[in-house]
Amino acid sequence: MADAQPPPVLVAQGIGHISRNFLREVGGVFWFIVNTFEEMFERIQQGRVPFRATSFFRHSQRAGVDSVPLVGLVSFFLGLTMTLLTGYQLQRFGTERLIPGLVAIGFTRELGPLLTGIMVAARIGAAFTAELGTMQVSEEVEAIESMGIGPLRFLVAPRMLALILLMPCLSTASNIAAILASSLICKAYFSIAFPYFLDLVKDSLLIRDIITGIFKSFLFGLLIAAIACYRGLTVKGGAAGVGISTTSSVVTAITAVIGFDTLYNVIYTTFYPT
Amino acid sequence: MVELRDVCMQFEENKVLDGFSLNVEPQERLVIMGQSGSGKSTILRLILGTLRPNAGSIFFKRFEITGLQRRKLQAVRQHMGMVYQYSALLSSRNVRENVALPLEELTDKSRDEIDKIVDEKLELVGMKDSKDLLPEELSGGMRKRVALARALVLEPELMLLDEPSAGLDPVIASVIDELIISLSDTAKVTSITVTHEMDSAFRIGTRMAMLYQGKIIEEAEPEKFKQSKNPVVAQFLSGSTEGPILEGSLDAITKK
Repeated sequence: MADAQPPPVLVAQGIGHISRNFLREVGGVFWFIVNTFEEMFERIQQGRVPFRATSFFRHSQRAGVDSVPLVGLVSFFLGLTMTLLTGYQLQRFGTERLIPGLVAIGFTRELGPLLTGIMVAARIGAAFTAELGTMQVSEEVEAIESMGIGPLRFLVAPRMLALILLMPCLSTASNIAAILASSLICKAYFSIAFPYFLDLVKDSLLIRDIITGIFKSFLFGLLIAAIACYRGLTVKGGAAGVGISTTSSVVTAITAVIGFDTLYNVIYTTFYPT
Repeated sequence: MVELRDVCMQFEENKVLDGFSLNVEPQERLVIMGQSGSGKSTILRLILGTLRPNAGSIFFKRFEITGLQRRKLQAVRQHMGMVYQYSALLSSRNVRENVALPLEELTDKSRDEIDKIVDEKLELVGMKDSKDLLPEELSGGMRKRVALARALVLEPELMLLDEPSAGLDPVIASVIDELIISLSDTAKVTSITVTHEMDSAFRIGTRMAMLYQGKIIEEAEPEKFKQSKNPVVAQFLSGSTEGPILEGSLDAITKK
């Protein structure tokens, strides 16, 4: 007991340990993305396609098209709820005509990409990690590597590109579903007809809001794919390891999406305060 | 063809190879024997470059594997064929797609040419009729034969075989052994096999090596190897429980 460290030292050690692990993980994911793009460009330099189109379309179908019902439904319900809750508050001040703009801007800039990111991280991120993790523990990834095939460009690149390109589409589907839901509530509860609703949306929504949302979606797609594939290819410890990595992948991807969204908003509002 | 110089490999606290050196001549069929967990498979992974040693150098022809950049290493690997202990076939692809993968990804061959080569290699291992089956529909022996066909498809100069006949029935094990022998005789392929299946090892090998405690302790032609005076080799070949291999570990078992 004589060697016991005083509490401040233990706390500092704990913080140091957590910070080191965090920075190691961030560095790992960063170089993972860099190496994937490097392998892809090396392949293109050789005059070859980095991966097969069928592989890209298969992942696009899974990550994108098959996610539309889930993303659409959740966004539709959230659009309904948001309109009801804000509508009754605004009605007290006689400003219910602000609802369409509020929902449209809220979803286009913020909630659409964020909700889609969270849902895709849970649905597709988990699938990517489990799939690659299983390949890793059954030596399939090493077998690919041993043939002289780059596993990053062969396994990761089609998944990453599919998610980067499909996320803005899913985000747009989310926005449309929420705005549609909002228009139904506006008509039923606040006597705002559909043409007037559309006029109010068009008046309040700026191109800048749409671009912001789309840019965020690209970023979230990259983050989710990179974290999910990185976790999959670094699985250790057999079937249990795949389970642990899959859980960790979903938690990390959702946290990263929310964290980057906040960071983006802070930077954005600093440069464009209005 | 292959040279390992003073290679050290350690996984956390476990020192697997400790100043390991080995030289493999062209067209030789080297068999490395040793206990489970002695580092036999690690040697193959080091030659492939999927593992990096803590110290020492590894050469394949004139290339130093340990110093190669990723792109060059990938090009060098195309001259090697690896058969994994558990086959490592891609579970989402059928037999044909597994064997065709290196050709599709690394060569400019047309679909017809690829099909012809795939058929030829599958015929060689007696698996031509199973082209459309998925790995989960194959037995262990069939998987191993498909893995061998996949490793052969790029006409490698060096074959690395990790327990090629482990878990197979004697007839299929002999078929695989004969195939490995015929490859070195006809296609001038050099092979390094790690195994502890005695029959298979002595059938395949033109030179035997015994790995013990991170080093090669005996290296000889099969007949000389069988008559080795080294107590570790003698115990390993006889399968006796009396001898230096189980000293310490046997005590631990009996005390339990």
